[in-house]
Amino acid sequence: MKPVKIAMMGMTHGHTRKYYQTLLENKKLDWVAACAEDEEAKKVYALYNTGVPCYLDAAAMLAEHPDIEAIVLASANNRHFEQMKFCAERGIHILSMKIPTFDMAEYDAMIELVDKAGVVCQIELEMHYNPVVKRLQKLIADGALGKILSVQATNITLSPVWAFPWQGVPEDSYGSRVPLASGDHRFRGGALCDHPHIFDLIRWLTGADFASVFAQVAPNLRPELEVEDMLLAAGKMTDGTAFLFDPSWSRMEERLKVPAPGWEVFPKRMEVNVTITGEKGMLQCDCFGPNVYHNGAPNDRYTVQYTYFDEWIGLIDEFVDCIRNHKQPRINLKWHRHTIEAMNACYDSVAEGKAIAL
Amino acid sequence: MTIKAMNSALDFLRDKYGVGPGVIAEGPECFQLHLSDGNKADLLPHRVERRFVELKKIIDGKTLEGISTFRFAVFRPHGDLRKMLAAELDLAAFLSGSEVSRLFAAGDGQRVCNVIFRLANGVSGCIECSSGLPTAAPVLDRHEIIARRGVASDRVVDTQVPQHSIYVWNEDGTATYTDVDTELFGLSDEAIWTVRAAFAVLSQPSLAACWNQAAQASLRQAEAALDCALSGTPVTF
Repeated sequence: MKPVKIAMMGMTHGHTRKYYQTLLENKKLDWVAACAEDEEAKKVYALYNTGVPCYLDAAAMLAEHPDIEAIVLASANNRHFEQMKFCAERGIHILSMKIPTFDMAEYDAMIELVDKAGVVCQIELEMHYNPVVKRLQKLIADGALGKILSVQATNITLSPVWAFPWQGVPEDSYGSRVPLASGDHRFRGGALCDHPHIFDLIRWLTGADFASVFAQVAPNLRPELEVEDMLLAAGKMTDGTAFLFDPSWSRMEERLKVPAPGWEVFPKRMEVNVTITGEKGMLQCDCFGPNVYHNGAPNDRYTVQYTYFDEWIGLIDEFVDCIRNHKQPRINLKWHRHTIEAMNACYDSVAEGKAIAL
Repeated sequence: MTIKAMNSALDFLRDKYGVGPGVIAEGPECFQLHLSDGNKADLLPHRVERRFVELKKIIDGKTLEGISTFRFAVFRPHGDLRKMLAAELDLAAFLSGSEVSRLFAAGDGQRVCNVIFRLANGVSGCIECSSGLPTAAPVLDRHEIIARRGVASDRVVDTQVPQHSIYVWNEDGTATYTDVDTELFGLSDEAIWTVRAAFAVLSQPSLAACWNQAAQASLRQAEAALDCALSGTPVTF
Protein backbone atom coordinates (compact mmCIF):
# COMPACT_ATOMS: atom_id res chain seq x y z
CA MET A 1 0.00 0.00 0.00
CA LYS A 2 1.26 3.43 -0.92
CA PRO A 3 2.12 5.41 2.25
CA VAL A 4 -0.19 8.32 3.03
CA LYS A 5 1.57 11.67 2.74
CA ILE A 6 0.66 13.35 5.98
CA ALA A 7 1.25 16.72 7.67
CA MET A 8 0.45 18.32 11.00
CA MET A 9 -1.02 21.75 11.52
CA GLY A 10 -1.23 24.07 14.51
CA MET A 11 1.18 22.28 16.86
CA THR A 12 -0.39 23.95 19.90
CA HIS A 13 -2.57 21.10 21.13
CA GLY A 14 -1.53 19.10 24.17
CA HIS A 15 -1.53 15.91 22.14
CA THR A 16 0.75 17.23 19.39
CA ARG A 17 3.93 15.55 20.59
CA LYS A 18 2.17 12.20 21.01
CA TYR A 19 1.94 11.83 17.22
CA TYR A 20 5.62 12.22 16.44
CA GLN A 21 6.81 8.68 17.11
CA THR A 22 3.88 7.05 15.31
CA LEU A 23 4.09 9.34 12.31
CA LEU A 24 7.78 8.61 11.98
CA GLU A 25 7.63 4.83 12.56
CA ASN A 26 4.45 3.74 10.77
CA LYS A 27 5.47 2.56 7.30
CA LYS A 28 1.98 3.31 6.02
CA LEU A 29 2.68 7.00 6.49
CA ASP A 30 5.11 9.48 5.07
CA TRP A 31 5.20 12.49 7.40
CA VAL A 32 6.34 15.27 5.12
CA ALA A 33 5.66 18.58 6.88
CA ALA A 34 4.32 20.50 9.85
CA CYS A 35 2.83 23.95 10.02
CA ALA A 36 3.00 25.76 13.36
CA GLU A 37 0.46 28.29 14.55
CA ASP A 38 3.18 30.81 15.43
CA GLU A 39 6.87 31.22 16.14
CA GLU A 40 6.43 30.03 19.71
CA ALA A 41 4.81 26.76 18.61
CA LYS A 42 7.54 26.33 16.00
CA LYS A 43 10.23 26.75 18.67
CA VAL A 44 8.62 24.11 20.88
CA TYR A 45 8.28 21.76 17.89
CA ALA A 46 11.99 22.19 17.17
CA LEU A 47 12.83 20.82 20.62
CA TYR A 48 11.70 17.37 19.53
CA ASN A 49 14.10 17.11 16.56
CA THR A 50 11.76 15.17 14.29
CA GLY A 51 13.67 16.12 11.14
CA VAL A 52 10.38 17.06 9.46
CA PRO A 53 10.28 20.64 8.12
CA CYS A 54 8.01 23.13 9.85
CA TYR A 55 6.28 26.08 8.18
CA LEU A 56 4.33 29.01 9.52
CA ASP A 57 1.90 29.27 6.63
CA ALA A 58 -0.33 26.42 5.49
CA ALA A 59 -0.45 27.60 1.87
CA ALA A 60 3.34 27.77 1.79
CA MET A 61 3.52 24.25 3.23
CA LEU A 62 1.20 22.95 0.53
CA ALA A 63 3.14 24.80 -2.16
CA GLU A 64 6.27 22.95 -1.07
CA HIS A 65 4.44 19.66 -0.53
CA PRO A 66 1.53 19.58 -2.99
CA ASP A 67 1.17 15.83 -2.53
CA ILE A 68 -0.05 16.08 1.09
CA GLU A 69 -3.08 13.80 1.39
CA ALA A 70 -3.98 14.19 5.06
CA ILE A 71 -3.45 16.65 7.89
CA VAL A 72 -3.60 16.23 11.67
CA LEU A 73 -5.19 19.40 13.06
CA ALA A 74 -3.23 19.69 16.29
CA SER A 75 -4.56 23.09 17.22
CA ALA A 76 -6.74 25.06 19.61
CA ASN A 77 -10.46 24.34 19.40
CA ASN A 78 -11.32 27.75 17.92
CA ARG A 79 -8.95 27.12 14.98
CA HIS A 80 -10.57 23.88 13.87
CA PHE A 81 -13.32 25.23 11.62
CA GLU A 82 -11.02 27.38 9.53
CA GLN A 83 -8.46 24.59 9.26
CA MET A 84 -11.08 21.98 8.38
CA LYS A 85 -12.38 24.29 5.65
CA PHE A 86 -8.85 24.72 4.35
CA CYS A 87 -8.41 20.95 4.14
CA ALA A 88 -11.85 20.06 2.83
CA GLU A 89 -11.64 22.61 0.03
CA ARG A 90 -8.42 20.97 -1.11
CA GLY A 91 -9.64 17.39 -0.76
CA ILE A 92 -7.28 16.73 2.14
CA HIS A 93 -8.30 14.13 4.72
CA ILE A 94 -8.59 15.37 8.31
CA LEU A 95 -7.69 14.04 11.71
CA SER A 96 -9.28 16.46 14.17
CA MET A 97 -8.51 16.86 17.85
CA LYS A 98 -11.14 15.64 20.30
CA ILE A 99 -13.31 18.78 20.28
CA PRO A 100 -14.05 19.89 16.70
CA THR A 101 -16.11 22.82 18.07
CA PHE A 102 -18.72 23.49 20.74
CA ASP A 103 -20.69 25.78 18.42
CA MET A 104 -23.33 23.44 17.03
CA ALA A 105 -24.05 25.61 13.97
CA GLU A 106 -20.35 25.56 13.18
CA TYR A 107 -20.32 21.81 13.88
CA ASP A 108 -23.06 21.23 11.31
CA ALA A 109 -21.17 23.37 8.82
CA MET A 110 -18.14 21.12 9.39
CA ILE A 111 -20.24 18.05 8.62
CA GLU A 112 -21.46 19.68 5.42
CA LEU A 113 -17.95 20.66 4.36
CA VAL A 114 -16.59 17.18 4.90
CA ASP A 115 -19.53 15.44 3.23
CA LYS A 116 -19.33 17.74 0.23
CA ALA A 117 -15.59 17.22 -0.15
CA GLY A 118 -15.86 13.47 0.34
CA VAL A 119 -12.84 13.42 2.63
CA VAL A 120 -12.24 11.29 5.72
CA CYS A 121 -12.65 13.24 8.96
CA GLN A 122 -11.71 11.25 12.02
CA ILE A 123 -12.01 12.65 15.53
CA GLU A 124 -9.15 11.88 17.87
CA LEU A 125 -10.61 9.90 20.76
CA GLU A 126 -7.59 7.80 21.50
CA MET A 127 -9.13 5.81 24.34
CA HIS A 128 -10.68 3.52 21.74
CA TYR A 129 -7.23 2.18 20.92
CA ASN A 130 -6.27 1.54 24.54
CA PRO A 131 -5.91 -2.21 25.24
CA VAL A 132 -7.76 -1.99 28.54
CA VAL A 133 -10.70 -0.22 26.91
CA LYS A 134 -10.68 -2.87 24.20
CA ARG A 135 -11.01 -5.54 26.91
CA LEU A 136 -13.68 -3.52 28.69
CA GLN A 137 -15.74 -3.25 25.54
CA LYS A 138 -15.35 -6.98 24.90
CA LEU A 139 -16.41 -7.93 28.42
CA ILE A 140 -19.53 -5.78 28.20
CA ALA A 141 -20.35 -7.01 24.69
CA ASP A 142 -19.88 -10.63 25.83
CA GLY A 143 -22.40 -10.06 28.61
CA ALA A 144 -20.07 -10.46 31.60
CA LEU A 145 -22.25 -8.01 33.54
CA GLY A 146 -25.57 -8.38 31.75
CA LYS A 147 -27.59 -5.23 31.18
CA ILE A 148 -25.68 -2.20 32.43
CA LEU A 149 -27.35 -0.32 35.27
CA SER A 150 -24.76 2.26 36.14
CA VAL A 151 -21.44 3.69 34.96
CA GLN A 152 -19.20 5.82 37.11
CA ALA A 153 -16.07 7.20 35.49
CA THR A 154 -13.23 9.57 36.14
CA ASN A 155 -11.38 11.42 33.42
CA ILE A 156 -9.13 13.46 35.65
CA THR A 157 -5.78 15.04 34.88
CA LEU A 158 -3.50 17.85 35.81
CA SER A 159 -4.29 21.15 34.12
CA PRO A 160 -2.42 21.68 30.86
CA VAL A 161 -3.05 25.44 30.74
CA TRP A 162 0.49 26.50 31.67
CA ALA A 163 1.96 24.61 28.71
CA PHE A 164 -1.02 25.12 26.40
CA PRO A 165 -2.44 28.49 27.40
CA TRP A 166 -5.35 28.40 24.94
CA GLN A 167 -6.98 25.79 27.17
CA GLY A 168 -7.50 28.48 29.78
CA VAL A 169 -8.88 31.07 27.37
CA PRO A 170 -12.67 30.76 26.97
CA GLU A 171 -12.73 32.01 23.38
CA ASP A 172 -9.97 29.61 22.28
CA SER A 173 -11.19 26.57 24.17
CA TYR A 174 -14.98 26.91 24.17
CA GLY A 175 -15.19 29.18 21.14
CA SER A 176 -16.80 32.16 22.89
CA ARG A 177 -16.92 33.87 26.27
CA VAL A 178 -19.95 32.36 28.01
CA PRO A 179 -20.26 32.80 31.80
CA LEU A 180 -20.61 29.53 33.70
CA ALA A 181 -23.61 30.88 35.59
CA SER A 182 -25.14 34.11 36.74
CA GLY A 183 -22.89 35.60 39.40
CA ASP A 184 -20.00 33.22 38.62
CA HIS A 185 -16.90 35.06 37.39
CA ARG A 186 -15.71 32.04 35.43
CA PHE A 187 -16.47 31.03 31.84
CA ARG A 188 -17.00 27.85 29.88
CA GLY A 189 -13.86 26.28 28.43
CA GLY A 190 -11.95 24.50 31.22
CA ALA A 191 -11.64 20.93 32.40
CA LEU A 192 -14.87 19.74 30.79
CA CYS A 193 -13.61 20.81 27.36
CA ASP A 194 -10.51 18.70 27.91
CA HIS A 195 -12.30 15.48 28.81
CA PRO A 196 -14.85 14.16 26.29
CA HIS A 197 -13.64 10.55 26.55
CA ILE A 198 -16.00 9.24 29.20
CA PHE A 199 -18.97 10.96 27.54
CA ASP A 200 -18.07 9.03 24.39
CA LEU A 201 -17.19 5.75 26.09
CA ILE A 202 -20.55 5.31 27.81
CA ARG A 203 -22.29 5.58 24.44
CA TRP A 204 -20.17 2.71 23.08
CA LEU A 205 -20.65 0.57 26.18
CA THR A 206 -24.42 0.98 26.45
CA GLY A 207 -25.40 1.55 22.84
CA ALA A 208 -27.56 4.35 24.19
CA ASP A 209 -27.47 8.13 24.04
CA PHE A 210 -27.76 10.75 26.73
CA ALA A 211 -31.29 11.35 28.04
CA SER A 212 -30.54 13.88 30.75
CA VAL A 213 -27.61 15.42 32.54
CA PHE A 214 -27.03 17.45 35.69
CA ALA A 215 -23.67 19.12 36.31
CA GLN A 216 -22.14 21.14 39.09
CA VAL A 217 -18.91 23.09 39.30
CA ALA A 218 -16.80 23.34 42.45
CA PRO A 219 -14.58 26.17 43.63
CA ASN A 220 -11.48 26.21 41.43
CA LEU A 221 -8.28 24.63 42.68
CA ARG A 222 -6.55 27.28 40.58
CA PRO A 223 -8.40 30.48 41.43
CA GLU A 224 -6.52 32.51 38.84
CA LEU A 225 -8.07 30.55 35.95
CA GLU A 226 -10.96 32.10 34.02
CA VAL A 227 -12.39 28.66 33.30
CA GLU A 228 -13.69 25.82 35.49
CA ASP A 229 -11.23 23.24 36.75
CA MET A 230 -13.47 21.09 38.99
CA LEU A 231 -16.89 19.71 38.13
CA LEU A 232 -19.12 16.65 38.38
CA ALA A 233 -21.87 15.39 36.11
CA ALA A 234 -24.63 12.83 36.64
CA GLY A 235 -27.62 11.71 34.66
CA LYS A 236 -29.28 8.98 32.68
CA MET A 237 -28.90 7.40 29.27
CA THR A 238 -31.82 6.62 26.99
CA ASP A 239 -31.68 2.95 28.07
CA GLY A 240 -32.01 3.95 31.73
CA THR A 241 -28.31 3.57 32.63
CA ALA A 242 -27.36 5.99 35.38
CA PHE A 243 -23.97 7.68 35.27
CA LEU A 244 -21.69 9.81 37.43
CA PHE A 245 -18.67 11.44 35.80
CA ASP A 246 -15.73 13.39 37.15
CA PRO A 247 -14.01 15.21 34.26
CA SER A 248 -11.93 17.56 36.43
CA TRP A 249 -8.42 18.94 36.45
CA SER A 250 -8.13 17.65 40.01
CA ARG A 251 -4.44 16.74 39.96
CA MET A 252 -2.05 19.60 40.57
CA GLU A 253 0.93 20.34 38.38
CA GLU A 254 4.18 22.21 38.14
CA ARG A 255 3.58 25.17 35.86
CA LEU A 256 5.92 24.07 33.07
CA LYS A 257 5.93 25.79 29.68
CA VAL A 258 6.81 22.53 27.95
CA PRO A 259 5.63 19.15 29.33
CA ALA A 260 8.56 17.28 30.84
CA PRO A 261 9.40 14.87 33.64
CA GLY A 262 8.31 16.36 36.95
CA TRP A 263 5.18 17.96 35.48
CA GLU A 264 2.93 16.19 37.97
CA VAL A 265 2.56 17.00 41.66
CA PHE A 266 0.09 14.19 42.36
CA PRO A 267 1.78 10.87 41.43
CA LYS A 268 -0.61 9.97 38.65
CA ARG A 269 -1.11 12.85 36.25
CA MET A 270 -3.93 11.25 34.26
CA GLU A 271 -6.60 8.76 35.27
CA VAL A 272 -9.53 7.18 33.47
CA ASN A 273 -11.17 4.75 35.88
CA VAL A 274 -14.53 3.15 35.19
CA THR A 275 -16.85 1.30 37.55
CA ILE A 276 -19.80 -0.52 36.00
CA THR A 277 -22.69 -2.21 37.74
CA GLY A 278 -24.79 -4.58 35.67
CA GLU A 279 -27.65 -6.93 36.37
CA LYS A 280 -25.20 -9.88 36.65
CA GLY A 281 -22.25 -8.27 38.40
CA MET A 282 -19.83 -5.43 38.63
CA LEU A 283 -16.41 -4.41 37.34
CA GLN A 284 -13.74 -1.88 38.08
CA CYS A 285 -11.33 -0.75 35.44
CA ASP A 286 -8.21 1.40 35.41
CA CYS A 287 -7.57 2.30 31.77
CA PHE A 288 -4.05 3.55 32.55
CA GLY A 289 -2.71 1.06 35.02
CA PRO A 290 -0.78 -0.72 36.32
CA ASN A 291 2.53 1.00 35.52
CA VAL A 292 5.99 1.38 36.99
CA TYR A 293 6.71 3.86 39.76
CA HIS A 294 9.60 5.90 41.11
CA ASN A 295 10.49 8.79 43.34
CA GLY A 296 13.60 9.98 41.55
CA ALA A 297 14.57 13.06 39.56
CA PRO A 298 13.66 15.76 38.98
CA ASN A 299 11.52 16.39 42.06
CA ASP A 300 11.98 13.23 44.15
CA ARG A 301 8.21 12.78 44.29
CA TYR A 302 6.45 9.45 44.00
CA THR A 303 5.52 9.29 40.31
CA VAL A 304 3.63 6.98 37.99
CA GLN A 305 5.65 6.32 34.86
CA TYR A 306 3.09 5.30 32.23
CA THR A 307 4.14 2.00 30.77
CA TYR A 308 1.85 0.20 28.40
CA PHE A 309 -0.19 2.68 26.48
CA ASP A 310 0.29 3.54 22.80
CA GLU A 311 -3.15 4.70 21.78
CA TRP A 312 -1.88 6.77 18.89
CA ILE A 313 -0.66 3.70 17.01
CA GLY A 314 -4.16 2.26 16.61
CA LEU A 315 -5.69 5.64 16.02
CA ILE A 316 -3.40 6.36 13.10
CA ASP A 317 -3.86 2.82 11.76
CA GLU A 318 -7.61 3.40 11.56
CA PHE A 319 -7.12 6.78 9.90
CA VAL A 320 -4.87 5.29 7.20
CA ASP A 321 -7.26 2.36 6.68
CA CYS A 322 -10.19 4.77 6.22
CA ILE A 323 -8.25 6.87 3.70
CA ARG A 324 -6.95 3.99 1.62
CA ASN A 325 -10.06 1.82 1.78
CA HIS A 326 -12.70 4.57 1.71
CA LYS A 327 -14.13 3.77 5.11
CA GLN A 328 -15.93 5.93 7.65
CA PRO A 329 -13.99 6.25 10.94
CA ARG A 330 -15.73 4.95 14.04
CA ILE A 331 -15.42 8.38 15.64
CA ASN A 332 -16.62 10.60 12.85
CA LEU A 333 -18.22 14.04 13.03
CA LYS A 334 -21.80 12.76 12.93
CA TRP A 335 -21.24 10.18 15.68
CA HIS A 336 -19.38 12.61 17.88
CA ARG A 337 -22.06 15.32 17.60
CA HIS A 338 -24.15 13.71 20.38
CA THR A 339 -21.14 13.66 22.69
CA ILE A 340 -20.54 17.36 22.14
CA GLU A 341 -24.26 18.05 22.69
CA ALA A 342 -24.09 16.25 26.04
CA MET A 343 -21.04 18.27 27.08
CA ASN A 344 -22.83 21.48 26.14
CA ALA A 345 -25.80 20.27 28.19
CA CYS A 346 -23.46 19.98 31.19
CA TYR A 347 -22.62 23.65 30.81
CA ASP A 348 -26.32 24.51 30.40
CA SER A 349 -27.06 22.57 33.58
CA VAL A 350 -24.38 24.50 35.48
CA ALA A 351 -25.90 27.76 34.22
CA GLU A 352 -29.49 26.82 35.01
CA GLY A 353 -28.97 24.77 38.15
CA LYS A 354 -31.17 21.95 36.91
CA ALA A 355 -31.01 18.72 34.93
CA ILE A 356 -31.10 19.21 31.17
CA ALA A 357 -33.01 16.84 28.92
CA LEU A 358 -31.37 16.00 25.61
CA MET B 1 0.67 -20.26 23.80
CA THR B 2 0.85 -21.68 20.28
CA ILE B 3 3.78 -21.02 18.03
CA LYS B 4 1.37 -20.67 15.12
CA ALA B 5 -0.42 -17.75 16.80
CA MET B 6 2.87 -16.11 17.71
CA ASN B 7 4.17 -16.41 14.16
CA SER B 8 0.93 -14.96 12.79
CA ALA B 9 1.38 -12.01 15.13
CA LEU B 10 5.00 -11.65 14.09
CA ASP B 11 3.99 -11.67 10.43
CA PHE B 12 1.48 -8.92 11.16
CA LEU B 13 4.18 -6.73 12.72
CA ARG B 14 6.68 -7.53 9.97
CA ASP B 15 4.22 -6.52 7.31
CA LYS B 16 3.15 -3.37 9.13
CA TYR B 17 6.63 -2.09 9.91
CA GLY B 18 8.43 -3.49 6.89
CA VAL B 19 11.05 -5.74 8.49
CA GLY B 20 12.60 -8.92 7.08
CA PRO B 21 11.54 -12.54 7.51
CA GLY B 22 12.00 -14.76 10.56
CA VAL B 23 10.17 -17.58 12.32
CA ILE B 24 9.68 -18.27 16.02
CA ALA B 25 10.43 -21.86 17.00
CA GLU B 26 11.03 -23.84 20.17
CA GLY B 27 14.72 -24.05 21.04
CA PRO B 28 16.50 -26.35 23.48
CA GLU B 29 16.23 -23.82 26.33
CA CYS B 30 13.83 -21.12 25.18
CA PHE B 31 11.96 -19.83 22.16
CA GLN B 32 14.26 -18.91 19.31
CA LEU B 33 13.99 -16.83 16.20
CA HIS B 34 15.10 -18.64 13.07
CA LEU B 35 16.54 -16.06 10.72
CA SER B 36 16.56 -16.23 6.94
CA ASP B 37 20.38 -16.52 6.90
CA GLY B 38 20.15 -19.79 8.86
CA ASN B 39 21.19 -18.29 12.19
CA LYS B 40 19.15 -18.69 15.35
CA ALA B 41 18.63 -16.15 18.10
CA ASP B 42 17.61 -17.02 21.65
CA LEU B 43 14.68 -14.82 22.57
CA LEU B 44 14.83 -12.91 25.85
CA PRO B 45 11.25 -11.62 26.23
CA HIS B 46 11.96 -9.83 29.51
CA ARG B 47 14.31 -7.52 27.64
CA VAL B 48 11.41 -6.11 25.64
CA GLU B 49 8.71 -6.32 28.31
CA ARG B 50 7.52 -2.79 28.70
CA ARG B 51 7.74 -2.52 32.48
CA PHE B 52 11.40 -3.52 32.31
CA VAL B 53 12.04 -1.22 29.37
CA GLU B 54 10.57 1.63 31.46
CA LEU B 55 12.68 0.66 34.48
CA LYS B 56 15.75 0.68 32.26
CA LYS B 57 14.79 4.13 30.97
CA ILE B 58 14.51 5.29 34.57
CA ILE B 59 18.05 4.05 35.20
CA ASP B 60 19.64 5.16 31.93
CA GLY B 61 17.90 8.54 32.00
CA LYS B 62 19.32 9.25 35.48
CA THR B 63 15.90 9.49 37.09
CA LEU B 64 17.55 7.36 39.75
CA GLU B 65 21.06 8.31 40.74
CA GLY B 66 23.60 6.11 42.46
CA ILE B 67 22.05 2.68 42.05
CA SER B 68 22.78 0.55 45.09
CA THR B 69 20.62 -2.57 45.14
CA PHE B 70 18.25 -4.62 43.00
CA ARG B 71 15.59 -6.51 44.95
CA PHE B 72 13.85 -8.99 42.68
CA ALA B 73 11.29 -11.68 43.43
CA VAL B 74 9.52 -14.26 41.30
CA PHE B 75 7.13 -17.02 42.38
CA ARG B 76 5.51 -19.45 39.96
CA PRO B 77 3.44 -22.59 40.13
CA HIS B 78 5.61 -25.49 38.98
CA GLY B 79 8.22 -23.29 37.31
CA ASP B 80 11.65 -24.40 36.16
CA LEU B 81 13.85 -22.86 38.85
CA ARG B 82 16.89 -22.78 36.58
CA LYS B 83 15.11 -20.83 33.87
CA MET B 84 13.40 -18.57 36.38
CA LEU B 85 16.74 -17.66 37.93
CA ALA B 86 18.37 -17.21 34.54
CA ALA B 87 15.72 -14.72 33.49
CA GLU B 88 16.12 -12.68 36.67
CA LEU B 89 19.91 -12.71 36.51
CA ASP B 90 19.80 -11.61 32.88
CA LEU B 91 17.32 -8.90 33.82
CA ALA B 92 19.81 -7.56 36.35
CA ALA B 93 22.51 -7.51 33.67
CA PHE B 94 20.16 -5.88 31.16
CA LEU B 95 18.93 -3.15 33.52
CA SER B 96 22.38 -2.33 34.82
CA GLY B 97 24.46 -2.85 31.70
CA SER B 98 26.84 -4.88 33.89
CA GLU B 99 27.53 -8.59 34.29
CA VAL B 100 26.92 -10.71 37.38
CA SER B 101 30.35 -11.16 38.95
CA ARG B 102 29.56 -13.12 42.12
CA LEU B 103 26.66 -14.88 43.74
CA PHE B 104 25.62 -16.87 46.75
CA ALA B 105 22.43 -18.92 47.02
CA ALA B 106 20.41 -20.78 49.62
CA GLY B 107 17.55 -23.15 48.93
CA ASP B 108 16.52 -26.73 48.39
CA GLY B 109 17.76 -26.84 44.81
CA GLN B 110 14.35 -27.77 43.44
CA ARG B 111 11.53 -25.48 44.53
CA VAL B 112 13.25 -22.62 46.33
CA CYS B 113 16.41 -20.68 45.68
CA ASN B 114 17.26 -17.32 47.22
CA VAL B 115 20.22 -15.57 45.64
CA ILE B 116 22.41 -12.67 46.62
CA PHE B 117 24.50 -11.38 43.73
CA ARG B 118 26.95 -8.64 42.89
CA LEU B 119 27.41 -7.00 39.50
CA ALA B 120 30.75 -6.02 37.99
CA ASN B 121 29.84 -2.35 38.48
CA GLY B 122 29.45 -2.91 42.23
CA VAL B 123 25.66 -2.95 42.42
CA SER B 124 24.29 -5.51 44.86
CA GLY B 125 21.12 -7.51 44.40
CA CYS B 126 18.96 -10.39 45.50
CA ILE B 127 16.38 -12.73 44.01
CA GLU B 128 13.65 -14.47 45.94
CA CYS B 129 12.76 -17.38 43.70
CA SER B 130 10.24 -20.15 44.26
CA SER B 131 8.25 -22.56 42.14
CA GLY B 132 6.13 -23.51 45.11
CA LEU B 133 2.90 -21.76 44.27
CA PRO B 134 -0.14 -24.01 43.89
CA THR B 135 -1.23 -24.84 40.35
CA ALA B 136 -4.06 -22.35 40.06
CA ALA B 137 -2.09 -19.44 41.48
CA PRO B 138 -0.99 -16.55 39.27
CA VAL B 139 2.67 -15.71 38.73
CA LEU B 140 3.82 -13.22 41.37
CA ASP B 141 6.86 -11.05 40.91
CA ARG B 142 8.39 -7.75 41.98
CA HIS B 143 11.38 -5.76 40.80
CA GLU B 144 12.64 -2.93 42.96
CA ILE B 145 15.64 -0.76 42.24
CA ILE B 146 17.03 1.14 45.19
CA ALA B 147 19.28 4.12 44.59
CA ARG B 148 20.85 6.94 46.54
CA ARG B 149 18.33 9.17 44.83
CA GLY B 150 15.00 7.39 44.46
CA VAL B 151 13.46 3.95 44.35
CA ALA B 152 11.76 2.49 41.27
CA SER B 153 9.51 -0.54 41.15
CA ASP B 154 7.06 -2.38 38.95
CA ARG B 155 4.74 -2.70 41.96
CA VAL B 156 2.85 0.20 43.42
CA VAL B 157 3.60 1.30 46.96
CA ASP B 158 1.72 -0.42 49.79
CA THR B 159 0.87 -3.54 47.78
CA GLN B 160 2.33 -7.04 47.88
CA VAL B 161 0.87 -8.57 44.74
CA PRO B 162 0.53 -7.39 41.13
CA GLN B 163 -2.44 -5.17 40.38
CA HIS B 164 -4.71 -5.57 37.37
CA SER B 165 -6.38 -3.19 34.97
CA ILE B 166 -9.80 -4.79 35.28
CA TYR B 167 -11.53 -6.71 38.06
CA VAL B 168 -14.87 -8.40 37.33
CA TRP B 169 -17.15 -9.81 40.00
CA ASN B 170 -20.12 -11.82 38.79
CA GLU B 171 -21.87 -15.13 39.35
CA ASP B 172 -18.83 -16.94 37.91
CA GLY B 173 -16.61 -15.50 40.65
CA THR B 174 -13.84 -12.95 40.31
CA ALA B 175 -11.81 -12.46 37.15
CA THR B 176 -8.93 -10.11 36.42
CA TYR B 177 -7.52 -8.77 33.17
CA THR B 178 -4.37 -6.83 32.37
CA ASP B 179 -4.02 -6.07 28.68
CA VAL B 180 -0.83 -4.38 27.64
CA ASP B 181 -0.62 -4.37 23.86
CA THR B 182 -3.39 -3.28 21.48
CA GLU B 183 -1.59 -4.47 18.36
CA LEU B 184 -1.25 -7.98 19.78
CA PHE B 185 -4.53 -8.00 21.72
CA GLY B 186 -5.73 -11.49 22.52
CA LEU B 187 -2.33 -13.14 22.96
CA SER B 188 -1.14 -14.06 26.45
CA ASP B 189 1.47 -11.80 28.04
CA GLU B 190 4.08 -14.49 27.57
CA ALA B 191 3.27 -14.74 23.87
CA ILE B 192 3.19 -10.96 23.43
CA TRP B 193 6.67 -10.47 24.83
CA THR B 194 8.03 -13.44 22.85
CA VAL B 195 6.66 -11.94 19.63
CA ARG B 196 7.96 -8.49 20.59
CA ALA B 197 11.37 -10.03 21.30
CA ALA B 198 11.42 -11.70 17.88
CA PHE B 199 10.38 -8.43 16.27
CA ALA B 200 13.14 -6.60 18.14
CA VAL B 201 15.75 -8.97 16.72
CA LEU B 202 14.37 -8.60 13.20
CA SER B 203 14.39 -4.82 13.59
CA GLN B 204 17.90 -4.81 15.04
CA PRO B 205 19.76 -7.92 13.83
CA SER B 206 22.83 -7.19 15.97
CA LEU B 207 20.75 -8.20 18.99
CA ALA B 208 20.93 -11.86 17.93
CA ALA B 209 24.56 -12.43 18.90
CA CYS B 210 24.20 -10.30 22.04
CA TRP B 211 21.15 -12.24 23.22
CA ASN B 212 22.65 -15.65 22.43
CA GLN B 213 25.63 -14.77 24.58
CA ALA B 214 23.45 -13.34 27.37
CA ALA B 215 21.15 -16.38 27.36
CA GLN B 216 24.08 -18.77 27.75
CA ALA B 217 25.73 -16.67 30.45
CA SER B 218 22.58 -16.36 32.54
CA LEU B 219 21.86 -20.10 32.33
CA ARG B 220 25.41 -20.83 33.51
CA GLN B 221 24.92 -18.40 36.39
CA ALA B 222 21.58 -19.97 37.30
CA GLU B 223 23.15 -23.43 37.35
CA ALA B 224 25.93 -22.09 39.53
CA ALA B 225 23.34 -20.62 41.89
CA LEU B 226 21.54 -23.97 42.19
CA ASP B 227 24.86 -25.71 42.89
CA CYS B 228 25.75 -23.05 45.43
CA ALA B 229 22.42 -23.53 47.18
CA LEU B 230 23.51 -27.06 47.94
CA SER B 231 27.23 -26.48 48.55
CA GLY B 232 27.03 -23.20 50.42
CA THR B 233 30.11 -21.92 48.59
CA PRO B 234 29.94 -18.47 46.94
CA VAL B 235 30.65 -18.43 43.20
CA THR B 236 32.79 -15.85 41.46
CA PHE B 237 32.58 -15.43 37.67
